[in-house]
This record gives sequence, C-alpha cells and structure tokens, in this order.
Amino acid sequence: MFDNIKWLISPDLNQESEENEIVVSTRIRVARNIEGIPFEIKMKNQDAEKLVQVVKSAIEMNFKGKYLDLQKMKPLEKESLFESHLISPAIIKKEQPTAVFINEKGNITIMVNEEDHLRIQGLSCGLNLTNIASAVYEFEEILGQELGYAYNENYGFITSCPTNLGTGLRASVLFHLPGLVYTNEIDKILKSTLNLGMTVRGLYGEGTEIKGNLFQISNQHTLGFKEDELIEKINKFARMLIDLEKKARDAIIERARYELEDKIYRSIAILRSARLINSDEVLNLLSAVRLGIGLGIIKGIEVNILNEIMLITRPGNIQLYYGEILEEQERDLKRAEYIRNRLAKIETTTV
Amino acid sequence: MLCDDCKKKPASIFFKDVSGGQIKEVHLCEDCARKKGILSEKKLSPLEVLQKLLKNTSYEDERVICPICFLNLAEFKKLGRFGCANCLNVFEPYIKSMIKEVQNSERHIGKRAKPGGRRAIEVFRLREELRRALEKEAYEDAAQIRDKLKTLGVENV
Repeated sequence: MFDNIKWLISPDLNQESEENEIVVSTRIRVARNIEGIPFEIKMKNQDAEKLVQVVKSAIEMNFKGKYLDLQKMKPLEKESLFESHLISPAIIKKEQPTAVFINEKGNITIMVNEEDHLRIQGLSCGLNLTNIASAVYEFEEILGQELGYAYNENYGFITSCPTNLGTGLRASVLFHLPGLVYTNEIDKILKSTLNLGMTVRGLYGEGTEIKGNLFQISNQHTLGFKEDELIEKINKFARMLIDLEKKARDAIIERARYELEDKIYRSIAILRSARLINSDEVLNLLSAVRLGIGLGIIKGIEVNILNEIMLITRPGNIQLYYGEILEEQERDLKRAEYIRNRLAKIETTTV
Repeated sequence: MLCDDCKKKPASIFFKDVSGGQIKEVHLCEDCARKKGILSEKKLSPLEVLQKLLKNTSYEDERVICPICFLNLAEFKKLGRFGCANCLNVFEPYIKSMIKEVQNSERHIGKRAKPGGRRAIEVFRLREELRRALEKEAYEDAAQIRDKLKTLGVENV
C-alpha cells in the first residue's frame, strides 16, 4: 500500500520552497484509443479481453512495472489505488476486463479500458508539469508504435467523448490556498480561472467537493493548441496563483496574526492528541499545519509527512495499513492513532 | 453579508452604483446579479455545452450509420460518445459546428500520430493462431508461428 503513495512523498522536489507547499501535486493525463478495437460504448467482453491482452504485451515488451488485472483485485485494494490517485472511480465501476499498469517508480499509471482504451497518467508532488509531461509522452510514443492509435487529420487523436478530442491532454495542478479562502478572494479567483479556459474541482477531481482548502485546476479544452503551449500556459497561471496566495497570506498576518497562529498551534495539538478524527477533519487540520510550515511558523516537520498522513488516513488506505476491515468509528479511532504515532517521533518548534 | 435584493443568499458580488447621483455600495448574490443582467450567463463546462447541443435531433439522424460499429447519429446524440474510430469520419459533417462550440476550436495543431509497426497487435494475432494450431495438433504450423513471434522480439512465446 505504501507503494501506491510513494509518488507523493518522494523527496525529489525541494521541500524548503514555499511553492511546493502551495502546490501540492501535479497530474498529466493523456487519452488514446487503438485503431481497430471498438470504443467503450460498443465494446463487448471479448473486445475488452483482447484490449487488455494486447496492451499487456505492448507494455511488457517495453517497460518494467506491475500490470494488474482489476477484475481479480479485492475492493479495498482498488479503493486504495483510487484514494492514492492512481486510478479513477470510472474504471472501478466497470464489469468488463480492465487493467492498470504501474511503473516501478510508482508515478506513471496506464489505465486500460476506462472511458478510452488507454489513459496514460503521470503524477508528481509539487509543481512539475514539464518533467511529468516528458515522462508521460515517452510512454505514449513507445506504446503508439506498438499499438497504432486512432487518429484523424483534422481532429487529432480520436477519443470516446468529443470533449477529449485532439490532444486528449488534461493537465491538472492541486493547489493549497488557505490565504485566498480566508481573505474571501477565492470566489473571484475561481471565476477568473473559468474565463481562462480552466476548471476548478475538489481533491479527487470531477464531482468532488472542495475540502481542506485544496483546489484542483485543469484545462477545459483539449483541441486547438500545442501540448507544450498548454503546459506553458498552466505554469504561468500557477505562478500567478502562487503569488496571489502569498500576498493574501501576508495580508492575513498583518491583520490577524495571533488568530492565525492560534488556529495553527491548536491544529497541530489536536493532531497530536485526538482520539477520534474523521477524514474530512484530517484535511482541515492538515491544511492549518501546512500553512504553518509555509509561513515558517512551525518548524521541524516537512510537507512530505503531511502528504503521507493525508493519503494513508483515507478510509481504504487506513484499513490496508492496519490489515483489517474497519467500521466507521473504528476507522476514526485508528486514523487518530496512526497520526499520533506518526507525529510523536517528530519534534516541532513553534516560533 | 446577505444579498441586498433577496436577503437570503450570501452576497458575493460587490460594486458601487452611481446611477442615482450618489455613490451607493451594492451587495448582491450571484443569482440576483444574473437576474439584473449584471453577471453574464453562467459559464458551462465543455461537457455541459456538448449535452446542450446534442439535444438538437432530427428524424434523419437514425439513417446516418457508421458501417464499422453500426452506431447511428441519433444514438451518438443520446450518449455523446463515439462507438469506434470511424464514427468521427461518418458523423463529421453533422457535428462539425458542435465540436467547434464545445472545444472553442476546430482543428488539431498538436502532436501527430506516428506510423508504427503495430507490433503488439500482430503479436496478439499470432498468439491466437499459435493456440489454434496447438489445439489442432498442427505442430509444424505452430513451430513456424513461434519463429515469427521470435523475430518480432517476443521471448516468452
């Protein structure tokens, strides 16, 4: 189960930079279909079986990693993959043969037989669009030569839904924006993102609520631009948003420093001592501590630890961690226990 | 702060109204602002735009059929999905403007598909052939197929 979350707690990115506290993670996904195999709405079981086998041999001839048959997987294991952002809810719901490939590093996944034949995805902690895009397209290119993608001269790569035509590219960045939320500027910001051709979602993408001051921003359209132009545009937007967030935080420190410190100190105290914590509360408490780290108010703890706690305390992951099925209150109990233990060994100092 | 108009929903739109000769601070919620024409229409996501446009159906749609997967245009409009790679070719003249509205663009200028050997599809096909040959106990055929697979670079035949 730790394998599932290692992409987010990698020490690769600079932990000291406030930018990597404000930007939690980056995700790039590319959708492709294979010429000669029906798309989702016309796919029969034998087509799905063929798709899974064909992709399996294409991947095994070129890449190292795990190729997992989702039909054979236990529900909790699938839940864990979803909570760790490796697969989507859509693929879990399917009753046909489906699979997911995960590379050794654990940061590239390829879903097979979701809305499209292939969903190649790259993940990274912090703001890392260019590198992740390179990694994803390396896989995309090699698989393209093995498989033969459905492609149209005018409309680019052919996807199941017209909303993904062209590049089939969705680039998302997950931001932590407590400053803009507390100064009430967040609504204005979110409206302007819509005008820039981007959407805003909660932590797990489409259909999820905003929690823990976490906002996932991604491009709306997939047709009519070059891939690196889009990456550049989102990078620029991210830097602008980071700047606005920093300014909002400065304003709060000026106006309400003690209230802010109080909130942050209380949050870490609760995490260290509570007996019962539900998954929503974790996100809110982690947000305050994360802000404390970003502002330099809390020292001695890295953002990586918060990322680890955020993912391990998800409902499915916490059960896998303890190796048993747990009811809701038992989960709240074990979740609190896990967090207390994790933080016990870490000495934080408050300024 | 509650909306000046409906006094029910929270105000998120703030501006100064100078129409009465005096400067007045106005606070409105999104819905009242939209009703007053101050806010433009709520922006729809591409998926919402797609669903709206696809409601425009005609009886002739059922007669536009993809010869590969047999999906017809009426079904496409109901589901909003293609059945196979060829559907786009067949439906293009009817959905061209819909795509333009959904995507804000009508032409792909990004990476292109590169012509490939499609090795994996060939390997799959040969493996099926090999299985059938072994079932029929046609061992000479099976050996030939195995050789072909080896030349394609497949070690675990």
